[in-house]
Amino acid sequence: MRSKLPDAASSRKMAASSAVVAILASIWLCSSIAADASGSSSETTMHTNNWAVLVCTSRFWFNYRHMANTLSLYRTVKRLGIPDERIILMLADDMACNSRNKYPAQVFNNENHWLNLYGDNVEVDYRGYEVTVENFLRVLTGRHESAVPRSKRLLSDEGSHILLYMTGHGGDEFLKFQDSEELQSHDLADAVKQMKEKHRFKELLIMVDTCQAATLFNQLHSPGVLAIASSMKGENSYSHHLDSDVGVSVVDRFTFYTLAFFERLNMYDNASLSRLFNSYDPNLLMSNAYYRTDLYQPNLQEVPVTNFFGSVMETVHTDSAYRAFPQKNTPRETRIRTGNTAEDDSRRSILTDMTKAECPFTRIVSSLESKMETVGNLDSLVNYGLVMILPVLVVSVWLST
Amino acid sequence: MATANTEEEKSKSEQQKNHGGGGGFTRWAVLAVIFRLILIYFPGNLNLSSRPEVSTPLTSIRRLAEGYWLKQSSMSPYAGSMYHGSPLLLSVLGPLTVKRTILTYSVANAELKGSLVTFYADLISGILIRATGWKLQMTYRKSLKSLNLLNKSTDSGGLSSGDIAALVYLWNPFTIVACVGLSTSPVENLFTILTLYGAATGIAPLAAFGWVMATHLSLYPAILIIPVILLLGYGPDAPPSKLFRSKENGKVGDDTSSQDIIFSWGRVLHLLVWTSMWSVYVLVLCSISVKQHSSLQEMFQRTYGFILTVEDLSPNIGVLWYFFAEVFDFFRDFFLIVFHSNILFMILPLAIRLKHRPCFLAFVYIAISSMLKSYPSVGDPALYLGLLGLFLDELADMQFSFFLFCGYVGVSLLSPVMHNLWIWRGTGNANFYYATAMAYACFQIVLVVESVSSMLNHDRKLMKLSASKLQK
Repeated sequence: MRSKLPDAASSRKMAASSAVVAILASIWLCSSIAADASGSSSETTMHTNNWAVLVCTSRFWFNYRHMANTLSLYRTVKRLGIPDERIILMLADDMACNSRNKYPAQVFNNENHWLNLYGDNVEVDYRGYEVTVENFLRVLTGRHESAVPRSKRLLSDEGSHILLYMTGHGGDEFLKFQDSEELQSHDLADAVKQMKEKHRFKELLIMVDTCQAATLFNQLHSPGVLAIASSMKGENSYSHHLDSDVGVSVVDRFTFYTLAFFERLNMYDNASLSRLFNSYDPNLLMSNAYYRTDLYQPNLQEVPVTNFFGSVMETVHTDSAYRAFPQKNTPRETRIRTGNTAEDDSRRSILTDMTKAECPFTRIVSSLESKMETVGNLDSLVNYGLVMILPVLVVSVWLST
Repeated sequence: MATANTEEEKSKSEQQKNHGGGGGFTRWAVLAVIFRLILIYFPGNLNLSSRPEVSTPLTSIRRLAEGYWLKQSSMSPYAGSMYHGSPLLLSVLGPLTVKRTILTYSVANAELKGSLVTFYADLISGILIRATGWKLQMTYRKSLKSLNLLNKSTDSGGLSSGDIAALVYLWNPFTIVACVGLSTSPVENLFTILTLYGAATGIAPLAAFGWVMATHLSLYPAILIIPVILLLGYGPDAPPSKLFRSKENGKVGDDTSSQDIIFSWGRVLHLLVWTSMWSVYVLVLCSISVKQHSSLQEMFQRTYGFILTVEDLSPNIGVLWYFFAEVFDFFRDFFLIVFHSNILFMILPLAIRLKHRPCFLAFVYIAISSMLKSYPSVGDPALYLGLLGLFLDELADMQFSFFLFCGYVGVSLLSPVMHNLWIWRGTGNANFYYATAMAYACFQIVLVVESVSSMLNHDRKLMKLSASKLQK
């Protein structure tokens, strides 16, 4: 017969072993939490909105093409769905009303002058001398003075896809800002790293159209960043053509072929990023377009360009009004597809998965509710119930007389 | 009318006797119907549905339309404190408030006018009052006969009290205004009258249904459970049981010996079972109806809670709005309790005193609650004045009847005038309007007191007569 009372030695042993187990369990728990935290990458959050930061870093009349580049991309991005409130446009803005402009208040990106880029709904957020490296970095990191209005802030969150487009004059690991400052590659990398720490983006596409643009990405480390440049180290990016009427080159090659790709698209096309990248022909560009995908996990062939260049969202249609607290999806909600593949669903799965109480009463009630929802319109049920009153009444009256 | 006919042969013989009276009734009833139809389809805008006397926060048809629109927009119908009625009424009357262009003739107001819901409700109420009156009169004559007090003079050749009551209900200007002005009070009145009819004829499920629906639509008919129980237990109105017992002591070997009035618990139990069944059914329907965007608790809060806490202080013909506009918040709850228990405290003494006349007890309860309820409208005097006509035989000697008649006419004429002076012209103030409301309350008090005292006088007269007959 075993003795019921353990002696002192065995009790100490049990205490020690339980302490070890507890420590191990806590270590495992902490590590799992840490792994979870570090591993909480873009797969667990949902893509909620799209932002675009379009920067033209040059000024003066002979840099007309840089402004035309930026305005063309602005127009494309707006056409594909990103609204003005989610576009930060930084331009020197001294071309359209320049005294040397033969076509006042008009900016073209092609010598056929088909498209006036400077229409009547261009919203420039930072213009003139406000386009500085400091402001640019403030926009990226979100560290503003309190008096800066909301329209000048990048109000992205952890579900945002951001397109960052920069054009101007650049060189080996730098980008010239308004002929007086420069943005270096480590500045950019630091800013992107801060953005990642502050969960200011889910995915970031940086597109740079300058000479030796690829060197600007040398210091980037943050995950979720896709970078594309117009030329490699040692190569220049050239302008496309000269408009003899305006007198200056009106567009750069890289941007020209990018726009050519996008002009064939509308909002509902799901052309992939790999198609965009493969459309750059080095012979036409006269430089080697370079893209960096080692920091970007999703497969480029499955990412539609509208993930960055447009604002195409998956909408969930509900019958009821917007509730304050999230609830489990009922079968009534239908999803409207906008040409996305099924693989995107897994990345866009909703994080909040409320665990239901396991009380049998609530289970019965919820099963009744689900059955009622499958019945059809609740109003018709109520109407049937009301109509049923009459025969029940007649029968009961007849029975009791 | 058909059910009452096939019940007893006596009523058939009575109908043959009163053929002239019956013809008179149908003539006047048809005239009332035609008059209502003329008023309903009157092309001009009588603007009755915007009067505070007709449309209170509980009975207004515009609020019902708003609640229906909110429900159709996937919101709770009680959002924004517009609609305070039952969700079942929304399902029934709501679709009728939506303007449709299918109809070829132009309807001046909301389509509810063209749907004649209130018209049919009034019509059915009139028919039910007539049937109740027949039943009451039959019981009255039977009890008088058993006391040997029946003589030719009590047999009026003209209209019976049921016919008069139905005509009073149909021709009452208050009823017509409530019907044409599109308030929901004719529907509530219909269910109250259905309760009384079911209880008077002894059909427990009908009475239970009427009571449950009337309480569900407006809270105050809940106190009618006591007269309904008494009606089913004791039977319709009769002289006090003392009379029958003294008669039995006086005479030996009477053939009508079944006059001993015992309280039949079976029927009351039957009624309670049916009440619980109907209330569960109504609650389930309501919970289904509000499940999507609202909850049952919100429904109770917005309907019963609204009635009990008097949230809306817009003017009406009641006396509560002015008072609660000026009472301090600290005392608000206290005075709410005072006003509502004013109704509750009168239940028990009246029930004790008038338990042999449950139908009249119901009338007194309705009159008291319509005086002291939070949002009275013009449909309430419509109801109890119609019910008053049921007791014309007993209340023939009521004092101050002419004074009350003139008072009611005067108040109903002056009240819109004072409202106009206050709101539209600005030459009066709230006191003008409240003065008519107080005068109206005074007249109601006088009516209640005088009717109760004349009923008790009638009973005393009967006792004296039967005692003198016994001594003979």
